[in-house]
Amino acid sequence: MTRKTFLWATVAFMLIPLYVLTVNAFKGQQDILSNPFGLSGLTLEPLGRALTNPQFNVVKGYAVTLLFVVAVNVLSVGLAAPAAYVIARSSKRRFRVLMLFFLAGTFIPGQVLVIPVVYVLKTLGLMGTIRGFVLFETTLTLPFSIFLYAGYIATVPAVLDQAAAVDGAGRLRTFWQIVFPLMRPAVATMVILNTFSVWNDFVNPQIILGPGSGLYTVTTGVYAAVSQFSTDYTVVFPTLMLAIAPLLVFFVFMQRHIISGLTAGATKG
Amino acid sequence: MTLTQEAPPVAPARAVPQKARRRDGLATTIMVAPATILYVVMLIIPVGLAFYLSLTDWDGFSANPAFVGAANYVSLFDDPDLRRAALVTLLVAAAGTAGLNLFGLGFALLVNGASKANTFFRIVLFYPHVLSALVVGFLWSAILGTTGAVNNLVTTWGGEVIPFLSDPTWATVTMIAVLVWAGFGVNVVLYLAGLQAVPHSLIEAARIDGATRWQVFRNVTLPALGPSVTVNIVLSLVTLLKTYDLVVSLTAGGPAGQTQTVAYLILWNSIHDSRLGFGSAQSVILMLVTAALAFVVTRLRRRGELAVHQ
Amino acid sequence: MRSPHPFLAPTAIGCLLLLTGCGGGGFAGDTQAQQGEGGQVTVRMLVNITPNLTQAYWDGLVKPFEQANPGIDVKVEAPTGKGVADTLPQQLAAGNAPDVVETLTADETLSKQMLDLTDQPWVKDTPLAKEASLGGRIYTVGVGVQAQSLVFYNKSAFDKAGIDKPPTTFEEFDAAMGKLKASGVLPLQTGGEFLTGLQLLQFSNPSRAQLHPAWQQDIKAGKIKAGESMLPLLERYRTWIDKGYVDKNALGMKYADAETAFLSGKSGMYVMGSWFTAAEAKAQKDFEVGVFPAPVDKGQQYPGPQGATMAAPYMVLKSTPNKDAALKLVQWLVTDPEAVKSQLKQDGNYRTGVDREFTPLEKQVQQILDTAPSGTPQGEGYGDATLPKGFNAAWNTEVQGLYVGKSPKEVAEGVDRWLAGRS
Repeated sequence: MTRKTFLWATVAFMLIPLYVLTVNAFKGQQDILSNPFGLSGLTLEPLGRALTNPQFNVVKGYAVTLLFVVAVNVLSVGLAAPAAYVIARSSKRRFRVLMLFFLAGTFIPGQVLVIPVVYVLKTLGLMGTIRGFVLFETTLTLPFSIFLYAGYIATVPAVLDQAAAVDGAGRLRTFWQIVFPLMRPAVATMVILNTFSVWNDFVNPQIILGPGSGLYTVTTGVYAAVSQFSTDYTVVFPTLMLAIAPLLVFFVFMQRHIISGLTAGATKG
Repeated sequence: MTLTQEAPPVAPARAVPQKARRRDGLATTIMVAPATILYVVMLIIPVGLAFYLSLTDWDGFSANPAFVGAANYVSLFDDPDLRRAALVTLLVAAAGTAGLNLFGLGFALLVNGASKANTFFRIVLFYPHVLSALVVGFLWSAILGTTGAVNNLVTTWGGEVIPFLSDPTWATVTMIAVLVWAGFGVNVVLYLAGLQAVPHSLIEAARIDGATRWQVFRNVTLPALGPSVTVNIVLSLVTLLKTYDLVVSLTAGGPAGQTQTVAYLILWNSIHDSRLGFGSAQSVILMLVTAALAFVVTRLRRRGELAVHQ
Repeated sequence: MRSPHPFLAPTAIGCLLLLTGCGGGGFAGDTQAQQGEGGQVTVRMLVNITPNLTQAYWDGLVKPFEQANPGIDVKVEAPTGKGVADTLPQQLAAGNAPDVVETLTADETLSKQMLDLTDQPWVKDTPLAKEASLGGRIYTVGVGVQAQSLVFYNKSAFDKAGIDKPPTTFEEFDAAMGKLKASGVLPLQTGGEFLTGLQLLQFSNPSRAQLHPAWQQDIKAGKIKAGESMLPLLERYRTWIDKGYVDKNALGMKYADAETAFLSGKSGMYVMGSWFTAAEAKAQKDFEVGVFPAPVDKGQQYPGPQGATMAAPYMVLKSTPNKDAALKLVQWLVTDPEAVKSQLKQDGNYRTGVDREFTPLEKQVQQILDTAPSGTPQGEGYGDATLPKGFNAAWNTEVQGLYVGKSPKEVAEGVDRWLAGRS
């Protein structure tokens, strides 16, 4: 009984911000100020203005962010999984060192890197481009991915690879055909984690994409739209709502896969 | 692959394994090289660059940065802003880690077990993680600001404004609270996963022996959760030490710069003040501190786990 | 029997790299595109975006220019960082600086990146061009002048409190605040963000300029200390907090919160620059707003010199590949009568000799500007009177310290310590 009451109280506390956001996205400035929790004077007008805000094209922001998420995930899996396989299956000192080398990267905060990366990307002619951004974001996912994948592959019996090798399959084929399909839970975990981190990233797109490229992700778009007019609540609330609503709906529908996916790979790895 | 096939066979008797080995060698390179190259170019070189820049007085764009040796590191130590930011960051990391893990483990125990209600609770506890820290900060500042939703209500009822974001102590506490609010759902999920690994038979046995709930938790569940606890603490710590987005959107570093974190200061110095060399020195220090703390925590926890098992 | 799978993954990655490459809307490609298309050039202009100056406003402003110059396409860019001051260094570092930048004035660091405009014939007649020059060279040209040291007040609140004439000295100012407080209204509107320090700088200009006419230069030369010279004013501010003349929770308000609070009648006075008149003109309210120049110390000349800054300052980047087009655009922006008038009106700024339709409040501001003895650079300053970059922000952080329990002396020392660390 007390457990239930306590949990429902917590639910209320967790949801209050969402409630405030939602009701106020449909109210005028006066109603927001005078009665922030009430339901008086609902209107669709602020939402309409937020949708057509020249500072932040919501649809384009979503498209750009989605492209980044897909590109980073594909690249990250494509690069990290085979590397992790080699590391996990080799007893050579060389690869042990390589593992530690990658592991060190998990402790490097992204904010520390973003400034010097600007100069690296500039040298490569990739500054302010989708390519440069995707490559950098992918790199940030590599250390933890390789760590998790290598741990997971270690639980896959090596007999399977040897059997494939006896059948004459090369290493590449053994990996992609035999081992990789077995890594599904770990890959799912990483994809979920990377999706959240790329989707919600703020500093990296803000600095690497910059103003010249005209590319906004959902977060940098929200920043551009909200920070300048922070008191015009009829801009703040609808913009924030637009930024999170689709993602929340997606989360609620996919929650089972997301939450179980998060744990499946993590526990075994 | 064609190249290896065209390679001249050496000793005919061992031709096949050698060919296979060479083919495998190439395959290994194909599998490891791209990730390694990207990692070196985009992560190791920048780290090296940060270290090099920390020894210069570069503003970020002019032609010739002057080499100043350790001057930036020396001025780090008598920079009052950094001292304050370092304290704030450590406080946020320590209190935040404690909060995330207490709430994470506590709620994991409360919502453990399969039921419709528990699924719902998990969703609600986890959902803030789906939102970016930037959005979370804007949202809470609209709710807790001096003219925000809560204070509006309070003043309409004739109360005093609550200085959530205008008093340094309040603002720091508010920031930590929001970080915990937004993040502990992840810890709940990770601890739930850890709880699956606790052998049910052990708990049953302890119950039958007449152990109280607390005794079961203390002597059976917690020791079995050891590795989960380590992972959770290290993850929380590493994440919180680089708190930046939330500072930007919730407090903008204020009031009076009292909620600036080290990550915030690094970007402020490097970009706003065009003191890239100085900012880089801060970066190098933050990197070292993060690695050291993570290492120490892992070591301590490992020792703790061993002690428990013995 | 070979399965294609082993090759699928690398191929997919290759395709993806190509795809992202081709689909990339980055500026790396744009630079080449600029020279293409038969002589059409694109001029990129980084501008300040504020509640007055929206993206839509800027786009509309340059439209007539684009029509008059079919070969030039002007691309207005909004900052991605905290503002132009944060975004430009990022862009310079990234090697994709714009062609024209609005809002900043040249200092020693920036001027090295900017085109020297001294020999352009049209530059001489632009406002404050000489004052903002650096070592005799002109890098920055502006549209008008912003008066900084103004105190806007709520006339109804003044009437109710029994204040019959606006204060002219600090003592009278304090007395007026006492009366406002007694009548139940918050006497002075302050706020958080950058507002706290800005307002105190604005407020201090007329008296400070009479005591230290070359404040910035003297500080740089080590003749005076910035914080120390402001100590009396900091002490005064401290008493305002103690007496409740300003809201002790003001730091929890953003700039726009403060503006809204004053315009909705919640406070009696609001220290702000002339651009506030544009916001005032748009606001619906049931009281009249008046304005007076910031007060001075007893015995000083009143009104004192106004804090004056260049309105809509423009600079052309040295690195621009489209020098002629960029120069043409800037010349048009600061000399074309319609363009000038539009910008002055949009942001509530002024220029001698340019008449536009004034609201009653704007007319008063124009009068204040006309009668002020001269202009004085504010805070970080401009041209030769420039303090190290970041001074205003550091000053702001320190001044906010007054709200969180620091003593005026500590604040002054903090400011001086910051300056000592940068010279």
